[in-house]
Amino acid sequence: MMRARTVAALLMAALLVLTGCTRSAKTGSTSLRVGWSSEPDTMNPLTTYSTEAQEVLQLVYDKLTEYDSSLKPEPGLATSFEYSSDGLSITYDLRDGVKWHDGQPFTSADVKFTFDLIHDQNLSEYGQWLTDMTSVDTPDASTVVVNFSKPQAFNPGLSIPILPEHIWSGKSADDIQKFANDQPIGTGPYTFVQWKQGESLTIKRNDSWWGPEPAATQVIFVLYGNEDVMAQALRAGEVDVLTEVPPTIWDGLSGVENVAAVSIPSFSFHHIGFNMSTDPKSQGNPLILDQTVRQALAYALDRNQLVQLALAGHGQPGSVLLPPAFGDWELKIPADQQMNANPDQANQLLDAAGYKDTNGDGVREAPDGSPLEFRLIAIESTTVDVRAAELFRDAAAKVGIKLDLQTMDENTLGKTVYNTTDWDIFVWGWDSGVADPDYMLGIVLCSQIGGNNDIYYCNKQYDQLYDQQATTVDEAARMNIVHQMQQDFYDSAGYIVMWYQDKLQAYRTDTWTGWVQTPGGMVFNFTRDNYLNVTPVAA
Amino acid sequence: MFRAGYLARKAGQLAVTLFAVVTFNFILFRVLPGDPLQLIARSGHLPPEAVARLRALFGLDRPLLVQFWYYLRNLSHAQFGFSFTYRRPVSSILAERMTNTIILLGAATVFIVLVGVGLGVFAAARRGSRADSGTVVTALVFWSLPTFWTGMILVFLLGVWLHAFPISGITTPGATYSSWFDQTTDVVSHIFLPTVTLALVDIGQFILITRSSLVDVLTEDYILTAKAKGLSRRNVVWRHGVRNALLPVITASALYISLVVGGAIQVETVFSWPGMGRLIYDAVLRRDYPVLEACFLIFAVTVILANLASDLLYPVLDPRVRET
Amino acid sequence: MATARIPLADRPGARAALRRNWELVWSDGLGRVGVILLAAVAVIAVLGPVLFPFDPKAVGRTAADILQPPSAQHWLGTDELGRDVFRATLAGSRISLLIGLTATAISILVGAVIGLVAGYYPGWPDSVLMRVTDFFLVMPTLPLVIALAALFGQSLGIIILVIGLTGWPSTARIVRSQVLSLRERQFVVRVRSLGASDLRIVGSHILPNVLPLIFANTVLVIAGSILSEATLAFLGLGDPVHVSWGTMLHFAFVSGATGRGAWWYFLPPGFGIVLVVLGFTLFGHTLDRILNPRLRERG
Repeated sequence: MMRARTVAALLMAALLVLTGCTRSAKTGSTSLRVGWSSEPDTMNPLTTYSTEAQEVLQLVYDKLTEYDSSLKPEPGLATSFEYSSDGLSITYDLRDGVKWHDGQPFTSADVKFTFDLIHDQNLSEYGQWLTDMTSVDTPDASTVVVNFSKPQAFNPGLSIPILPEHIWSGKSADDIQKFANDQPIGTGPYTFVQWKQGESLTIKRNDSWWGPEPAATQVIFVLYGNEDVMAQALRAGEVDVLTEVPPTIWDGLSGVENVAAVSIPSFSFHHIGFNMSTDPKSQGNPLILDQTVRQALAYALDRNQLVQLALAGHGQPGSVLLPPAFGDWELKIPADQQMNANPDQANQLLDAAGYKDTNGDGVREAPDGSPLEFRLIAIESTTVDVRAAELFRDAAAKVGIKLDLQTMDENTLGKTVYNTTDWDIFVWGWDSGVADPDYMLGIVLCSQIGGNNDIYYCNKQYDQLYDQQATTVDEAARMNIVHQMQQDFYDSAGYIVMWYQDKLQAYRTDTWTGWVQTPGGMVFNFTRDNYLNVTPVAA
Repeated sequence: MFRAGYLARKAGQLAVTLFAVVTFNFILFRVLPGDPLQLIARSGHLPPEAVARLRALFGLDRPLLVQFWYYLRNLSHAQFGFSFTYRRPVSSILAERMTNTIILLGAATVFIVLVGVGLGVFAAARRGSRADSGTVVTALVFWSLPTFWTGMILVFLLGVWLHAFPISGITTPGATYSSWFDQTTDVVSHIFLPTVTLALVDIGQFILITRSSLVDVLTEDYILTAKAKGLSRRNVVWRHGVRNALLPVITASALYISLVVGGAIQVETVFSWPGMGRLIYDAVLRRDYPVLEACFLIFAVTVILANLASDLLYPVLDPRVRET
Repeated sequence: MATARIPLADRPGARAALRRNWELVWSDGLGRVGVILLAAVAVIAVLGPVLFPFDPKAVGRTAADILQPPSAQHWLGTDELGRDVFRATLAGSRISLLIGLTATAISILVGAVIGLVAGYYPGWPDSVLMRVTDFFLVMPTLPLVIALAALFGQSLGIIILVIGLTGWPSTARIVRSQVLSLRERQFVVRVRSLGASDLRIVGSHILPNVLPLIFANTVLVIAGSILSEATLAFLGLGDPVHVSWGTMLHFAFVSGATGRGAWWYFLPPGFGIVLVVLGFTLFGHTLDRILNPRLRERG
């Protein structure tokens, strides 16, 4: 009896002594350690849908053209590229002497193989950039000519990772879906070392890389099951930078010694969406098809209040489809012309359209007597959405529109919105797939109904403008079209864009320096330049 | 020792329960108001055609009975299918996670048995004294603690405030070790807090069970006889009492596995321990059916086997209790 | 035999037995503490929100209001939305207890019925029901509850149902073994041979003798249900609309209260849970010892 307890006490003491010794485990000062709260799903670039996987893959694979730290194109595997005079082909001049991580030489055949593979099987998100591709020519080992049936405003070289033919050739579509690609071989600045699932993923510097040598000999991505612990780890110096930090935890990191908490405009927004299906069999409330009702709701809502209360101030009030991170591409509507925070205007609109509260219950009715009452759904685990939905419901009530809020899990909401028409209004968000406006604009095309288009929005004119901008290479002309599209969609109030959230990140100031705050994020963004350019803080 | 009939009956019950578990698993995780692949499309990274292809690949567009048939057939080949999330065989994901959880459970069990049984014996031997009631109260308080909250407190006190222990993971990320000893101490320092957290609740239970069953035994006739014969108290308590008192403890151990799974999920969440508990939780949220089915099956089978073992062990240990 | 026709409550023996048991509980040190704890919790849950009502919409206005330490204005500081933690804790007691008690009611009902039927009708009803009970004992509870809650939604009703439908096996087993032994007792056998209907036998003879055991078991099941709800809520599967101790701990964890040292946020709800569970545990533990004669003699 006594013995058991003494033994236990001794054990505890021994453990405490031992833990004192653990501080001797050294970490290399040229290792860049990144903390995240979710890990990749696979190392196969053609089947992954996780941002974390892409973060790693963009360091293992190269593209023909890369984004630099201000999101402008810079040479990648192609030292230069040129559009033909009719705009129907792009010629890429490839670098010489590049080798794959396994030593095999890189040639134009690899580029042709990759483009053909993606085009023929319409694989992953990259397929959409090659839908108009007709053929790929390789006049020699360092030149690739990609031919399209229509001019391409977006250079696909900016998006598509180049894969080694000698590893991927001969795989059928099913093979590719099942291929785990456990040891990804690319031409990139880092080679894959190891992925301990649930723990960490390590890549090490490729000393025969064609570009300037990065200072980090290793990059280690560490998984934390919980964001608070992740922030603790940053404070304790266990990691050097965090990919994304939730608002209250980020607030707790401000002012901490040796830690810098940064807030960067992002390419994402959260929005309210309306069921605009005109199918007679639709189970949505037909009153929502009236543009006046939607605009009234837009007027009733105060985006600023949403940002303060739901986002704890970490964002910008929303309006058009393109977030401010897109720079000039975003259409900037002057505040007094926006449908925002103006319940009087909402009331006027509804009065003029004949919606009056005839029975004094606080809810307006249409001339035929049906009340302005709609179902509102939101994802229960996305707290900001739930809070926003509650505020939206309260705002709508003030102008005589009743919203019945129901929360559900993400899966169910997705299925409801995409696979049925049995809903009226929902709250959700979008991230842009690329640093080009094409993706965001393409969400609400008629052709995307059944795809990304979650509101059954169909405007032929909008679609025509989309096709136009996708094939207009001249940036100024394209920008005009893009602005026009945003204005049209904004007026229709198919979405009420609530806010553009800031990307909240943090890093240690005493380990690595040279972090550039690129719009969209220092890391977890379309560019990998920060990984390549940071240098250790001089001791 | 055992009648053939008894063993056969046990085997039959085992088969029935196993089949019930397998079927229940399948029904629970396929008859759902949700499609795991829909989430993929929303993140903006996969076109609808690829999603459709994935759906066909996993047979999600086939009728349920067909899916069930494939599932059963795969199980018979010890194939647990493909994870939806990771797109690789479930078995490859399970292997490492299971090892991590087993390490954690192993450490916790050692702790629980040493401290729990030890204190239970201590209390029973001093039945009626203040030490005894003190131990019982401690045990009851431990038993009332929510595992996750205990973890949070320990994280705060020993991890954040005192900086005495690391609060997440198995090893220090990116660490290089100068010796095997270094690596072991790193793991030990990481495993300490999760082990204590996981063990605390069950220590309470084991103290109580050990104590009460030992108290029972200690007042049995044959013990009184041994005392009358003049055997020392230690002799009586340890050699005669404890061995027999351990029987209910063994039975409790079989149920312990069910309980400790719940504890493991909480501990692995609080401490970012990369084990099966965390895997189950993530898989539920992502509707990764193959992983879920495999995990549930493994746990259920483990509990069933543990029950079977204790059923078979009991008559061996206690000659008074034989199946007739 | 004359006692068979008198309803339970009027039997002089029953009321005396209740009194006696109560006195036994009260005179036991641990039992007394348990009862006091329960009484305290009951007072808090009933009176607390009346005296200090909690408004979930009373959120803070700026970042400075969030996660503030205790002050004269907020006795237990504020949460991640700037709301008063003291009032939230009081309000949370109601939800936690409501879920715990209602879920337990379901568990006990299901368990008792299954146990009664299994014990009273040996043969295939017993076999089947016991296989089902064993099945539920074998399924790991928390993963099952997580799966059910995640699949069928997170409303209050679903959570109660889910916890209730996974907590009955222990009751079933206890009831069944007691019924089995009662069935063979002399007076039951005689009454059966006199031709009394099964329902009557169960109602008048078996049930009264099983009830005390069910009661003791209920108390312990309540403790388990409250812990289950707290765990579910902590893992993010609680009802997001209603504030319970479990959801408070969940939001404390995900908003980084632990890391920020906001002890006022994660200690009170946790203590609440511990005290309630401890109260029920002490009470149930003592009841168990009293009603289980073997333990009482040796005790």
